Amino acid sequence: MSHRDQIFQGIRQAITALPERAAYPDYDTAAVTTPRWLPAAEENETLFRKRLTGTGGFFFESPADCAAWLKKDGAKSVYLAPEVAHLAADFAAHLEVVPAYTRDAVDRIDAAVTVAHGAIAESGTVILTDSGTPDRLAALAPWWHIAVVPRTGLVRTIGEAIAALPADPGIVWVTGPSKTADVEGILIQGVHGPGRQGSFFL
Amino acid sequence: MAHQKIDTYAATLNPEVRQAVRSNSAAGTEKRYEVLGSDFGNPDPLRKLAGAIKQHTIEHLDQYLEQAERSLTANGVKVHFAVSTQDARQAVLDILQQTGCRKVVKSKSMISEEIHLNDFLEENGVESVETDLGEYIIQIDHDHPSHIVKPILHKNRRDIAKSFEREGLGDYNDDPETITRRARAFLRQKYLQADAAVTGANFVVAESGRMVLVTNEGNSRFCLAGTRVHIALIGVEKLVPHDRDLAVFLNLLARSATGQQLTVYTEFLSGAALPAQPSGPREMHVVFVDNGRVDTLASNCREILRCIRCGACMNVCPVYRQASGHAYRSVYPGPLGAVLSPMLAGKGFAQLGDLPKASSLCGACNEVCPVDIPIPDLLLKLRNRAKEEHLPSPGSPPMGGFALLATAPMLWRTAMHAGIALDLTPKGLIPVPALQEWLKIRTLPAWRGGKFRSWYKNRPAQGKDRQP
Amino acid sequence: MANTRTPVTGRKVQLMATCLCDAFYDDVARATVEVLEHLGCEIEFPEGQTCCGQPAFNSGDWDASRKIMRHTVKTFSGDAPVVIPSGSCAAMLFHGAPLEFEKQPDAPEVQALADRTWELADFIVNGLGITQWEGRLDANVAFHRACHTRGTESGPAALQLLGSIPGLKIAAFGEAEQCCGFGGTFSVAFPHISGSMGRLKLEHVMETHPDFLVSGDMSCLMHLSGLANKEGKPLQIRHIAQVLRDALIQAP
Repeated sequence: MSHRDQIFQGIRQAITALPERAAYPDYDTAAVTTPRWLPAAEENETLFRKRLTGTGGFFFESPADCAAWLKKDGAKSVYLAPEVAHLAADFAAHLEVVPAYTRDAVDRIDAAVTVAHGAIAESGTVILTDSGTPDRLAALAPWWHIAVVPRTGLVRTIGEAIAALPADPGIVWVTGPSKTADVEGILIQGVHGPGRQGSFFL
Repeated sequence: MAHQKIDTYAATLNPEVRQAVRSNSAAGTEKRYEVLGSDFGNPDPLRKLAGAIKQHTIEHLDQYLEQAERSLTANGVKVHFAVSTQDARQAVLDILQQTGCRKVVKSKSMISEEIHLNDFLEENGVESVETDLGEYIIQIDHDHPSHIVKPILHKNRRDIAKSFEREGLGDYNDDPETITRRARAFLRQKYLQADAAVTGANFVVAESGRMVLVTNEGNSRFCLAGTRVHIALIGVEKLVPHDRDLAVFLNLLARSATGQQLTVYTEFLSGAALPAQPSGPREMHVVFVDNGRVDTLASNCREILRCIRCGACMNVCPVYRQASGHAYRSVYPGPLGAVLSPMLAGKGFAQLGDLPKASSLCGACNEVCPVDIPIPDLLLKLRNRAKEEHLPSPGSPPMGGFALLATAPMLWRTAMHAGIALDLTPKGLIPVPALQEWLKIRTLPAWRGGKFRSWYKNRPAQGKDRQP
Repeated sequence: MANTRTPVTGRKVQLMATCLCDAFYDDVARATVEVLEHLGCEIEFPEGQTCCGQPAFNSGDWDASRKIMRHTVKTFSGDAPVVIPSGSCAAMLFHGAPLEFEKQPDAPEVQALADRTWELADFIVNGLGITQWEGRLDANVAFHRACHTRGTESGPAALQLLGSIPGLKIAAFGEAEQCCGFGGTFSVAFPHISGSMGRLKLEHVMETHPDFLVSGDMSCLMHLSGLANKEGKPLQIRHIAQVLRDALIQAP
């Protein structure tokens, strides 16, 4: 018998022996998963900024602000994804703009600006998709990652984001910079992914 | 008197390790209470709902596993099944060999610990590197994780600095930030050189075939950005029925595990990367692993299969805090491990049959569990099983005689009066091992057997007129 | 572990005194009687009672435990509420016993007993509807919620009653959710861990300098005071029944 058949046979035997089986519970996602402070919280854009900052991320008023901050924070070069290539002038004022992200340049490119599919206000999360951010490395390997959030893609809650999961083979929710507390419980940012995670609206 | 192995382990534990384990797990519990309290007030309705969804899922696993297989296949994922440890390792090796992969990067997966995958791959000429910082340190130290979420809870920065120095990652430096930067620089080369990524999965949605993977460090994401083949090892119990259920579980998982609202990277994968993408695996394989889970489903402890591996039960467990994870002699420590490890051991139950005893049955584990597993009840059932299988239980007095006494009221009352002898005899002379054990660290109150009964019988009037 | 009790209608109650009170803490059982009678209850004390069977249940010897439970079911026949000055023994009756009798033919009788079993504070507050206590007690106390009352109404009920006593102050202490380390035979099979847990609890309790430590379970208090005494740092302990009774006595 194949491993598959063996496993299914075992499962069926186990389940058949049950006197009754638990039913799927009926529930209203919003009613059970909405934090109690959320209804009173500010509108989505303000909430997103606040929560993003709370996770250790950065929010910028404009591309120019972002570019100036990148320079001040130590970045020298920045990759701009094709969708934001039109912002090159803002960034070129402060940084070397790199037109293509290549695997062998992973350690040479300091920062990347890519476009997010959307964001979740209650958690300060940006939603990246494979179709919107095809180069997974570009959004992950640089020390600075800026996810540009289209205002139309902003949802309020985790539940709403789940209900609106796009049909895309690879979606990643990024909530703040890469983190670890493995060493003595001390929080360190920037383990494998970005040490600085930022956003501005478009 | 003989003590339980876990107690002996705790008694000889390095005090520094004990302190680290205690304070770190206590901090985890604090953060969990804080965030769940401030966000939900009473998290019980959410925990119970999550438990009900998982219980429903495992009790309909035949349907959901079949549905998941169909959905994954429709997404272009190759689905494999493995019954035993050996089958699971072999399935991974076969895929690697068929796709010409010689170098593997691994994202943290408890199931790969269960099957000791790294050693097996190394023996078969495949380089396999752990990429979670804690797991990487475990790997270079040839150690074992002592916590399912925080694998190096038992190590301090000085231990780690020495290991890094030994591995040639730089001069001795015990600054956690420096340690992290060195790992970052070293491991990103490994991601880029690797052919394949091996990961686990936190959830698989039956209806859509979406796999959910969460990490804080971003290592799983990097594994899936740098390599061309993705192999996910997944326990057959990891399913949830619908995409919408993810909202329930993701709202609980990180809060319970680390006190975060969400883990930093939450990936939803439903297939290989798109052809136009410059990075990301070109093929994706899922290996559904049994390794004792189907037997567990057939047992009276099937509720343990609801577990979403958050680690909250070990953080809050007073026994885990005193003994550390290694005391449990298995991949899964703490209250979860005290149930799951002996169950997954199958025929090896006897070797781990003492684990369910390592609990005061205080129920804190159940109180914090995001899927409301009745862990104390399961521990009790396994104690009963150990008794029926005649496993030794050091330190537990036999109960047969006590049952005789407690079912014979005359005898009981006589014993109550006779117990006064306790006070008249020098305590050191009383040949009852349990009593001697008690007296080593505690005093015993004066014996007053039968006093209440005589008071009750002899008091004058009864009722409302007899005010105290 | 929520109890699915049937509501209280009459005045009759059956008292299960517990083996610890039978052997060591007669004044706790006496205080329980006095408190219940003060509330107008008519108490029956079935003479044949022994132990709830929990030691055998927890050690895995369910055969032995079921023998004791069958004896208990027989001893506490009738339909009056069974009131127990111990959250642990009460939980054995309403939670543990149904678990060990799951596949037994006499499970319905065990469940019937479970449904009319109450821990004392829970009975007073939720069975009788008393939320304010009469009398007065001038004391600073620490309250240890015994673990077997997790998920039941007993902890909140005890705090409700204690908090309503004029003069009584309840001090909060750290890591209150942690177990004291007693755990029945756990205390002798895992003496090192049990002792460490107990000392940690004592540290937290002692920081509040209480006049005494209150709990609804004498087993926790026996372990904690035993540890404290052995180390020469005696700890005054009171069962909640004693506190309620003493408040009535101190009242003018």
